[in-house]
Amino acid sequence: MARRYEAVYIFESTLEEPAVTEKLTRFHALIPQPGEAVVDVTHWGKRTLAYPVAGRETGYYVVTKFEASSEMLPEFERALKLDEGLLRHLVVLDEGAQMAPTPSAKDGEEEE
Amino acid sequence: MARPQKSCAICESGVRVVDFKDERLLARFLTERGKILPSRLSGTCARHQRQLSTAIKRARQIALIPYIKGFAG
Repeated sequence: MARRYEAVYIFESTLEEPAVTEKLTRFHALIPQPGEAVVDVTHWGKRTLAYPVAGRETGYYVVTKFEASSEMLPEFERALKLDEGLLRHLVVLDEGAQMAPTPSAKDGEEEE
Repeated sequence: MARPQKSCAICESGVRVVDFKDERLLARFLTERGKILPSRLSGTCARHQRQLSTAIKRARQIALIPYIKGFAG
């Protein structure tokens, strides 16, 4: 039974966009493709971290949403842990959370 | 003298589920030290306070917001 997950990856900031997308495709290849599994990939790009992670001050953030069955998660997580370029990751169930509409721009994207 | 009950800021902004990636919203519910504001001070309703605390803990884990602010560690 496929469930919708949301994952946040923090890559080493030395990595450039192509290298990151290449790593991402390798990760997402692990997800069995019943249909269009990876629904959304957003690159936040380089950001300064709120506190040093693994001795680094900046990280390359990527946020993805994908549909997957729960059996494949341990294997997916193991692949994430093995990758040195990935400083930290977080995989959670997607609760359809919304960003608060910023007072200036009323474009808070309404997820379904 | 009971103070008029502050309304929940998150309910008003129309957000149903608090997003842990929305650090601008989360920062409004942190003290200067970066601790979570109690709902009796921020006036947040219980449902959103529960969501808020998990969202803040997740945001801290992915280094969007610090565990301790102003800590020259």
